[in-house]
Amino acid sequence: MEPEELYYHKEHTWVKVSGKKATIGITNYAQESLGDIVYVDLPEVDSDMEINNEIGEIESTKATSSIISPISGRVINVNEDLIDSPEIINEDPYVKGWIAVLELDDISELDDLMDASEYVKYIEEETK
Amino acid sequence: MNVAIIGAGPGGYVASIKAAQLGASVTVIEETEVGGTCLNWGCIPTKSLVASSDMLTKTRKLDDFGIELKGTITPNFLKILKRKDNIVNTQVKWIKNLLKSWGIVLRKGRGKILSPREIEILSNNGSKEIIKADKIIIATGSSSSRITSLPFDGNRIISSNDALKLNDIPKSILIIGAGVIGCEFACIYNALGSSVTIVETLPRIIAAEDTEISQLLEREFKKKKIKIHKNTIIDKIELRREGVHALLNNGQEVTAEKVLVAVGRRCNSNGIGLEDVGIRKGMKGEVIVNDKMETTLPNIYAVGDVTGGLLLAHVASKGGIIAAKNVMGGNEKINYNGVPTVIFTSPEIASVGIREFQAIKKGIKVNTGYFQFRSTGKAHIIGEISGFVKILSDKQSDKILGIHIIGPHASELIHEGVLAITKGLKTYDITETIHAHPTLSEGMLEAAEDIHDEAIHVLRK
Repeated sequence: MEPEELYYHKEHTWVKVSGKKATIGITNYAQESLGDIVYVDLPEVDSDMEINNEIGEIESTKATSSIISPISGRVINVNEDLIDSPEIINEDPYVKGWIAVLELDDISELDDLMDASEYVKYIEEETK
Repeated sequence: MNVAIIGAGPGGYVASIKAAQLGASVTVIEETEVGGTCLNWGCIPTKSLVASSDMLTKTRKLDDFGIELKGTITPNFLKILKRKDNIVNTQVKWIKNLLKSWGIVLRKGRGKILSPREIEILSNNGSKEIIKADKIIIATGSSSSRITSLPFDGNRIISSNDALKLNDIPKSILIIGAGVIGCEFACIYNALGSSVTIVETLPRIIAAEDTEISQLLEREFKKKKIKIHKNTIIDKIELRREGVHALLNNGQEVTAEKVLVAVGRRCNSNGIGLEDVGIRKGMKGEVIVNDKMETTLPNIYAVGDVTGGLLLAHVASKGGIIAAKNVMGGNEKINYNGVPTVIFTSPEIASVGIREFQAIKKGIKVNTGYFQFRSTGKAHIIGEISGFVKILSDKQSDKILGIHIIGPHASELIHEGVLAITKGLKTYDITETIHAHPTLSEGMLEAAEDIHDEAIHVLRK
């Protein structure tokens, strides 16, 4: 099940908001489609990210995929555990497998994202 | 017909053999050793170091292949250099034997053109001799460019030549220039255990290649922990007892045991009499030649690096063959359309034809096909999954215009593409060709198929 408290982007990334901070990652559907993840190219701390733009790349054994930012903001922290153990994303995409924490630019951007039930429907449509 | 050739590198010695095969009486004048930069300081010795560092990298992955090693693996730099010297010496002897078998006279010394029919040979002991020739081919090559503020001292400030004969693996090395030479040495020394930092003034590394090739190599460098500073110049550099200390214009500081200056090459066109006899040179000192390899003076030809353009051994050799044929009465022209570039980084890079940014600049409409090596079985079998094949074809005619490969054995895989471009083939010519399974060459097949969305091992888009 997709966690209720998260917001979802159509490029299969999620955001969890706490005050001005937003933690982002890729969804369970994304990690399942990619397969075994072998490398995560993390964004740089202090860089500015824009919603709908690429913030990094994920490599799995069979595919590579851009990570599309679900929200705009400045990167204040990245998950360095993923450097040596990228498989954490496969094991736990929503908690331990977070990718970066951003300082939010514009909280109203969340209005463009989906909630958990909308995202589940969206995946069903996409895979029909 | 008496032919004199100045320089016995891949331009000069190839020209000498071709001219001899066509019946000429040939003298080659070489100041150092046959094989030129390529064999003595370039292609061959560097690839020997690449082979040793690759072997080291592979043995560190033994466990992944189910092989247990009891003990440790350590590079022995002196033995690595010894192996390199042996390979070079074998090739040098081989070329000398080839020249001998064709009756080519090899003269040691520095050649200088005195008149269109006379060359002075200045030997290393200072003695001079003048020989006569009906035709002359200049093949004097190129050398490492210098930075005035950073003169080579062979110890802390080194050229690519010095980088092949260090006493030990440096703990840290700062490389100025992220071109082919800088990136190859970055991979060699990184694999051997040096901490490597590259500074490049341009916005991307190996900027002559397709943009996506640069991006992928950059990511692979990041994985190897090779530090890259792009868009960066060195504001100040200080020599200290422990090495060099550089202050970059991005505010960062780099301390390293050695600094390798790899900022390009300059033509060896001075001191060989060109000005005296009136052979024209270009802005960068390159000898100006036409597509028949003729200089501005009748009966004098020039080939290879000294003519500027693409400084590649195989281009020099092709030029050498064309010059030799024309010397012997032929009417051959060089064609640079299908010239492959190979870069022995890890992973390897190879390309031929147009880059996508060039197509955009020239307004050529192209289709692009991609295929990732990780989608093949073979890449997983050999444990090297990073990389792709990218093909550009003309949107209208489907003719293949460019092929760009980064990944395992790219330098061998490219030749299917070189043939395709040289012969003007279309993507369907590749897709109709059966490619064996399981091989990396399947990457070429599927990239060609991908142009028409016909690739089998690509997820539905």
